[in-house]
Parts: sequence; structure tokens; C-alpha cells
Amino acid sequence: MPPDRNAPYNRTVEVLASKLRRRQIVGSRTTALETLLVLRQVVSKARFSNFEQLVEIIKTVGHRLVEAQPKEHSVGNTVRKVLHHIREEYQTATRGTSIATPKAQFSIAKFVLQGQPRKQITSALKSENRGTLKENDPDDPDSFARSLKPVLMEALQDVLDELETVYDNVSKNAKDHIHSDEIILTLGMSKTVEAFLKTAAHNRNYTVIVAETAPSYEGRQMAQSLSSAGVSTFLVPDSSIFALMSRVNKVILGAHAILANGGMFAITGSQIAATAARAHSTPVVVCAGQFKLTPLWNLYHEYAALDFGNPDEVLGFEEGQLVDKVDVVNPYWDYVRPELIDAYITNDGDHPPSSIYRLLKEAYDDEDTEL
Amino acid sequence: MASQSNTTKEKLVDDEEVLQAVILADSFNKRFRPLSAGKPRCLLPICNAPLLDWTLESLALAGVQEVFVICRSHADQVKEAIKESKWSKPGSGMKIVPIMTSKETYSPGDAMRDIYTRGLVTSDFVLVMGDLVSNVRIDEVVRLHKERRKSNKDAIMTIVVKESGAEHRTRARGESSIFVLDSETSECLHYEPVTGFPSTKVAKLPREILAEHPEVEIRNDLIDCSIDICSVEVPSLFQDNFDYLDIRRDFVHGVLTSDLLMKSIHLYVVQEGYAARVQDTRSYESISKDILSRWTFPLVPDDNHPGGHNYEHLRGNRYIAKDGSVVLARTCKIGSNTLIGPSTQVSENVQVISSVIGQNCRIGAGSIIDNSYIFDNTVIGPNCKIQRSIIGSSCMIKENTLVQNGSLIGDGVILGPDVALSPFERLSVKRSIFAHTPVTEDSDEEDSDLEAVEENQEQIRGNFNLGKDSNALVWPRGPPDEEEDIEDVENYNNQRFMRLGDDASDIFSSDAGSETSEEEETSSDDETDSQYDGRSLSVLSDASAPSDIPSFPDDTEKEFQAEVRQSLERAFAEGHSVDNAAVELKTLRMASNVSLTRVRQAVIAAIVEQIPLVDSGAVQQREKIASVVGRWGALIDKIGGVDAVETVGLLQAHCATSSRMPLFGQILAALYQDDIVDEDDIRTWHGLPASKGEDRKPGPETESFKKCWLIASHMIKQFDDQESEEDSEEEGESEDDVTSKPPGTAQQQTPSEDEEESGEEDGAIHTPLQSSALVGEKTESPSPSPAESEEDDEESEE
Repeated sequence: MPPDRNAPYNRTVEVLASKLRRRQIVGSRTTALETLLVLRQVVSKARFSNFEQLVEIIKTVGHRLVEAQPKEHSVGNTVRKVLHHIREEYQTATRGTSIATPKAQFSIAKFVLQGQPRKQITSALKSENRGTLKENDPDDPDSFARSLKPVLMEALQDVLDELETVYDNVSKNAKDHIHSDEIILTLGMSKTVEAFLKTAAHNRNYTVIVAETAPSYEGRQMAQSLSSAGVSTFLVPDSSIFALMSRVNKVILGAHAILANGGMFAITGSQIAATAARAHSTPVVVCAGQFKLTPLWNLYHEYAALDFGNPDEVLGFEEGQLVDKVDVVNPYWDYVRPELIDAYITNDGDHPPSSIYRLLKEAYDDEDTEL
Repeated sequence: MASQSNTTKEKLVDDEEVLQAVILADSFNKRFRPLSAGKPRCLLPICNAPLLDWTLESLALAGVQEVFVICRSHADQVKEAIKESKWSKPGSGMKIVPIMTSKETYSPGDAMRDIYTRGLVTSDFVLVMGDLVSNVRIDEVVRLHKERRKSNKDAIMTIVVKESGAEHRTRARGESSIFVLDSETSECLHYEPVTGFPSTKVAKLPREILAEHPEVEIRNDLIDCSIDICSVEVPSLFQDNFDYLDIRRDFVHGVLTSDLLMKSIHLYVVQEGYAARVQDTRSYESISKDILSRWTFPLVPDDNHPGGHNYEHLRGNRYIAKDGSVVLARTCKIGSNTLIGPSTQVSENVQVISSVIGQNCRIGAGSIIDNSYIFDNTVIGPNCKIQRSIIGSSCMIKENTLVQNGSLIGDGVILGPDVALSPFERLSVKRSIFAHTPVTEDSDEEDSDLEAVEENQEQIRGNFNLGKDSNALVWPRGPPDEEEDIEDVENYNNQRFMRLGDDASDIFSSDAGSETSEEEETSSDDETDSQYDGRSLSVLSDASAPSDIPSFPDDTEKEFQAEVRQSLERAFAEGHSVDNAAVELKTLRMASNVSLTRVRQAVIAAIVEQIPLVDSGAVQQREKIASVVGRWGALIDKIGGVDAVETVGLLQAHCATSSRMPLFGQILAALYQDDIVDEDDIRTWHGLPASKGEDRKPGPETESFKKCWLIASHMIKQFDDQESEEDSEEEGESEDDVTSKPPGTAQQQTPSEDEEESGEEDGAIHTPLQSSALVGEKTESPSPSPAESEEDDEESEE
């Protein structure tokens, strides 16, 4: 059954899509939250009589949202995450009645297949009898949805809870990463980094150097926020990052999206800071929630990436004569290569860039990579 | 990607009424002909999406919920386009209502009156043109406007302007404006339109502005985005003032200069965001470039393309359609700032430089597309060269064709092969090609133009070759033979400032608005120090402006004089009542915004010229004068204000330059007799140094000017004599009689019988007979004036 274009949830999806398209909602966590709220509505209102239909519906909605704003990766990530959780719930709901899956014996021949354990199980289950969960019941087509929906809503609530507590969870180990009398360099205005540094300030007495982060100058906001929280803070121009690096103990960055190869998209200037840190062998640590894990590679540009903003911030529209003669590129994100990053601190523990691929495997199902 | 707060918008939705917008989708001019010949301008694509979609997207960004699109030409096409677009789908959040206005809507003013009569708007609304590209947070401006309205009910309008610097590609050179605003309240105090040709050199500010406002900014660096937040009463003001045509030139200027309305207009200078209008082909180019270089972010092809296409943004601002349907040959070169639409094929060795190519186009091998804009479904043959031109949709440019700088090629034209067009060529197809489009009444006007082009085709085209299968018509080049109205913004030379690829350097070596801001600063900082540079646009206040009017108002002046003359001629010919004629003149004065003196001058001139010259004798002449002055003299005082001294002065000035110079004395006498001027006025005037023509340059005119003064001297002498006579002889007579019995009239009429004029005609004829006889006697003098003879008369009487 093709998903119904006039379904009751269509309007909310459309509204969110146009808001995303018009950039009325920005920021990875905000977009992730909005996406989740829309998906919850979709699940609660959708009509489906078997599991494939439900997945199809969610995928279609996800596709529309991702297409509306392909640059906000957390939209797609949230959809993938929801799909993953739904599958999991479905499996636990059905597993109880089905015959226990034969424990796969470890063999080098099955090694590749074992890399995708869930998929194997899902496909194995398909042919089996689902006991109480009756799919495609001709007498009562809604019975499947009715019995599954409470579980699904719970699963969605789990994702929501995870999103809502992401800052706390990322920063719960802050004091293990920041030691007393250290000098930390950061840039931009990442909510995660902000929470992380503030939490660390409860236990440690340290100093933060914040780069202004031109052209958005979000660093100023960050510096203000940190110093009002009692952290000793310096605001420095971006040009002095390299000069100061020799004194810095640790660079802490935020991320827009963590890519499958362990690299990341982060605010402009991160690339410079990370390269300077490499030159001084200063550790670079990235704080980010797991919803930023994106099963994609950077295929766009070598350094600046993804999203190019208004040249206004760099040149100024009133410089009339220059506007004609100069091409201005104002990238919003930098692509930072995995080699430049030492560790990711996520809400689910700390990971080196080299194990990001594994996290992705665990978080999402392979079949959802392309939405 | 500035974080955009969503809260303001939601607040608007929650506690206030629906935010309405009105789009004037018609351009009311012809700058895009022949591209706009077959379809409305608002549906022309810019960066592969119709202009109207860009406008609607801008409004959607601002949270507008209800949009009225006012369409005039090709209204059915606009309606169809709206119906087909994504905006009519449920969930778009905007309700779009196309409004068809009548064919008689010739100006934005008419459209506003139409809005009023239909009662479309119910609250404050956003008024934009159908060619706007903007990412400005209009809702923010609306909020400010509403806040201001709460404290000040008279703030009826907020104009959104964008700071651009003195010279900017997006700033219209042919049609820009000077705004004077109060720095503190950002109230717009004065508005002055600026044209490229005739170049505006001086802007005048009313002195009161400087007196009333401690700090003013005079700005010539603002792009007028034509986004106006209007209150409900704005359409009704248009209704009340039926002569308002343009929203800026007439309405804003009118409201600001009116002493009666007491309304105020505010400016909103956009700091963040982009807004500009595609008002001509030049701005079409610059806005295309602005979009491609992402000034309009997030309204850019790869992000929120209004046409719904998906583009991939590559390094160097190259945008290639994402769906994989674009075929680019391995050896083709795609330069930076380029947009290539879906399903387009680019062949080997093609160079595309800073251009926009539509959907489904084909570019033949070896062609060069340089700074050009090619609409959908067009085929360009091999080895063509297209430079800085706009090519319409479904065109066919055959091989080895050269399309040069500034050419516009209309939809469906077939051109070539082996043709070289000269720069600024305009081509369209013959009318029969348009036959498949439904012929409606609304295309009348367009058709008539096209017809004219078709008729004169032989003449225009000459021996110019357009290729063997070409179906093209060449549009007239160069300035039109008779320029109907040089003051109009649409005049040919001014149009050149709006033309794609025309730097108009021959009109003008330095640029009108290009004078650097320092110059303006000096003049606003220090009013007395203002430079009066012929080329530059300096701002002068009345306090320092020289009293003589610079050359260009003379043209308005002449135009006005001509209008007055025409309307008076009509009045004379059709025998209107004096009151009606006076009303007509008053309106004319308001419309042209000229001083009362000018009107008086024109009226006097017209009346004097109305007096027929009679050869048969002074009696008949006098009779004629009496009848004309008796019938129309009252008009001089009815045009709004009485200033008899000036009247005499103007009469003198006019007679001095007119063939009716000999009649001066008689006319003056007639005026005196009809109580339009009285003795004291004549004396006052006579005493003025200017009246003697002292400061005038010597010449024949001054001669006659002085002569007039002499005639009047005689008349005054008569007054004196009369007075002494009266003093001695007729002391008993009432004062009334004294004034109504001047010596000059004594010859024509018997005293104290004004009220029985008709009955006394015999008496009136009687005395002039003598004077004519005397004139006959005095023929030896070179130019005997009747007044002299009158003087002689008087003497003889004595």
C-alpha cells in the first residue's frame, strides 16, 4: 500500500518540511527534537496492518524531511534511530512467541554476515508465526497497529528522553577530562560544549580561551555565558589561535555532524584550530550527542563543507563596488579530518574516531542508510 | 545560518489577526519587452524559478497567511501559474487569491484604488511588487509598524529600504531615490526621486525639516525594496487622491508634503538580509548574480529554491541540478557563478561563464555562453557566442550566431544560422505565432505595440539578415522619434540606465548616484558648505539653494504652462463657468506642485492671448478686451489667493514678450475697471524697482517692458489728476464712487454706472472714438501705444 498522501499527519510533516527548508528551525538538536515530535504524531495517527507498512510510512516521512533540508543531518539520523528502535521493539514483541533463533555458530565463513546481526534476524523472523501479534488480519486490519502502538510510543519516548538528557549525559564525565589549572581552547557556541565546561567548573578550577569564531562571532556569546557561570574566560581573535596553542592543554570542540569515517562537520575555524593543535600535539576532544552520528562521508569539499552562507557577514552589502568584483565564499561548516581528532565524548561513553563506524552500526540499521 | 527566532511569528499568529499581503504582480511598464510580450513579467524566470515564486517565498518566510495577487496583463496566465504552484497545495500555510483588475488599471495607484473598492484588506498589510527577491524578516518590520501604530495613529506606512553604498550593482541607476529621515525616530521626512537622465543634480528639502528635527539623515545610498507595511487607510488615501499614480513619486511625496493629511511615513533600514526588485533588465542581471553568490541565503538554488528544483552547490558557486539529468560533456568548461537547470545538455568544448541556463536546454559544441540568461527549452547551436543577453524560452539559435551585449530575444524566436546581431537588439516572433495563446481583450495593448513593430518591420530591419528560417521581428532600436515626455522615468535615455549591459557612459561620464558619501556628509554636516557640483548629486536645503530654479524644473514648468493653456482654451471654447475653470486650475496646481505665481502667470498669459487682435480700430479692440476681461478676469483671483500687485507685474512681463504688447494699457484699465486690481495696487507695483525693468538685460523685451511701465506711469498720473479733480470738484461724492470712477475708465464709461454696463454701451463707445482718432494722428511715432494715446486723450479732455 503506498503511503497515503492525505494522511492526517501530512500537514504537520509539511509544516516541518517548509520550516526546515526556510531555515526557521536550525541547530542539530532542535531539528532532531522537532523531527521526533513529528514522527511521534505520524506513528500515533498512521494506519497500518503490518510492520512493513509502518516502516514504509516512516521512511517516506523521513525522506520528505531529509529532502527538505539535506544539510541538517540530525533529521535523517533521528529518523534512522526511530526506525531502529521500532524494529527492536517489534522483535522483542514477536520473539517471545517465536521459536528461539538458532544460535549462530561463529565461523569465518559467516563473519561478513555477522557484521549485520540484526538484519539477519529480521529476515529470519519474517517467515515465522507472530503469535499474538497478528499482521494482515482480514477481520480487523487495525488490530496489529492497536497492539503494537503502545510499545512503539514507548520506544519513541526513549529516543526523546535520550535527546533531552543529552547534555547532562555528555557532561557527566567532564571532571575526568578537565583537570585543575588546565587551559582549554574552544570555539563557537555549542550547547554541548557549554554544558560540558560548566559542569567541569563545579569540580575543577581551570581557564578557557574562547576564539571569536568569525564570521558568526558565536564565540563572544560563549565567552559571555562561561564567564557569567564563573569560569575564568578569555576571548581572543581567531588569528591568535596558533600563537596561543603552545599554552593550551586541550582543545574542546563541538560538532554539527560526526561522519562515518570519524571526521566531523563543525563550525568554521575548527579546521584551523585542530590543525594548529596537531602542530603542537595538543589533544583535540569533541563533545557531541550520539544523534549527530551520521552514516555519511564528506563528498563535497575538501576543507570548507556543506553549507555556504551569506557573503554579507564577510564583505558587507554596502561595499557596492567590491561586490561586483569579488567572489566571497562563506562556509558555515568546516570538515575536520579524523586524523586531527583524538576522542569523541558522547552521551554513551568516549570513543576514538576509529571506532565511530562501529557506533554507527549499533545505532542504525544498514537498510536505512539511504532514506 | 543565523538562528532565527520562531517566536515572533507565532505570536503574530496567536494574538493578532491574519497577516495579509498584497502583491502588485504587474510592472506597469515595458522594460522587459519583448520578453514580457507573451507572458507577464512576474512569471519570467530568474535563476530558473518564476519571479512570483521568489516573491511568495519571501512572504512565506515572513509568515504571511493571506496574499492577494493583483494581476492585469495576462492575468489568466498568472492565475493558472498560482493554481499549479506548490502554494495552492494544502499545508502551504498561505492562502493566495488572484485578483484580476480591469484593463484601465495603468498604474500602481489605480491598483490601490481597486484594492480599496474591493475592500480586500482588513488590517495592516504588506505591499510588495511581484518581482521582489528578499530574505528580510518582514514580520519583524510588521511588528515594529504595529507597535508604532499603537502610540501614533498617523504612522500609516513603513518603507523597507536596504543600505547599499553609493555604487552597487543592485542599485537602480535609472530610478533611485533620496530619503531624508529623522535619525532618532526613523521617520521619513522627505522623499525625492532621482533619475539617471535627465540627471538629478539638486534635491531640495523644505526648510521646516531642519527646523523641526534636530538630527536628520539625508541618504542617497538606499535601495528601495518596495516592501511597504501599509495601514488600512493607505488604499483609501489613494481613493481620495485620484491623481496618485506611483506609490513613491506621488503617494509618498504627496503624503509628506501635504499640510492637511498630517500622516507620517517611517523607514526601516534593513541591516540583515537582502531585498531587491527585478525592475528592469539590468537589475535582472545583478539580482541573478546576487542569488548565485548567495546574498539571498537561505533563498539560494541549493537550499530553498522556490521552483522546487534541487541543485547541488559546487565549489565556485556552480549549481548543477541534482537529479542526474544534466549532461555535461567532458571537455566543456563551466565557470563560476553558474546555474544549470535539470535535463540540460552541454556539448563538447562549450564555455559557460557566469550564466544561468534553464531546464531542457541544449548547448551546441564550441559555443560560448557569457554572462547570459537562457530560459527553458532553448536550443543553442554549435559555435554560437551569446554575450550578456537574455534569451527567452523555446528559442532556437542556430549555428555560428553571435548575440551581443544587451540583446533580448523573446520566446520562440528562431535565429540564424550565421547571423551577427548588433548590441541591444530586441527580437520577438511574429504575432501569428502567438495565435495559439487565447486572444483575450487584455492583450489589446500588447498587440497594438506588436502590430506597430510588425508594420514598420521593413523600415526597422533594413537590409539586416536574421538567417534564412528566422521567424523573428526586430524591435525598434534607438530613441523613439518623438519622446512624448522627457520628464517621465520611462524616457529613452533613462531606460538606458536600466538596460542590461549598457553602461550609458555616453549619456554621462560620471555616475548619478555615485558621488561618495563624504560629499553628502559634508553637505548635511555643514549646510552652508554644500558643494554645488554640476555633475554630482548634492543635497541642498532651501536655505542655501540658489533662488533660481535649475534647468530641469523648467521643463515641468513648460509642461504645466501648456496644461494650463490647454485647460483654459477648453474653458474658453466651451464656455465653462469661472468657478469650474478655477477648480480645474487648482487641481492642476496641486498635481504639478507649482507655486501660485506660476498659475497666475499662466492664467494671465492665457487671458491676454485670448483677446483677439483687431485691426479695424481701437474701439473694437477695446470692446474685445472689455468682454474677455469681463468674462474671465475674475478667474485671476479665484485660483487661490489674491495678489493684485503680482498680477500687474505678471501682466507687464507677459505683454512685454507678447505680440499683444500694445494692449497693455487697455487690459490694465479693463482689469482696473473690473476691480481685479485697484489704484493702490497699480501704484505699489509701479513703485517696485523690478517693474521698471532696471535689473533686466537690455534687449527688445526690456524695451517693451519699460514701455509698459511708462504707460502705467501715465495712468498713475491720471489717477493723480483725477484725485485732485475729485478733491476740488467732487468732494461730496462717496468714496465708492471715487474708486469706481478712475480716469482711465472715464473715457470708456460714464462714472458710477458700472452696474448698468450694457445700457451704457453707447457712452462707452463714444469716448474711445476720440482716442482712435488721436492714434491716427500720431502714426508718425514708431510704435504708438494705445496708452499713450489715452494719455493724449486725457489731455485733450482737459
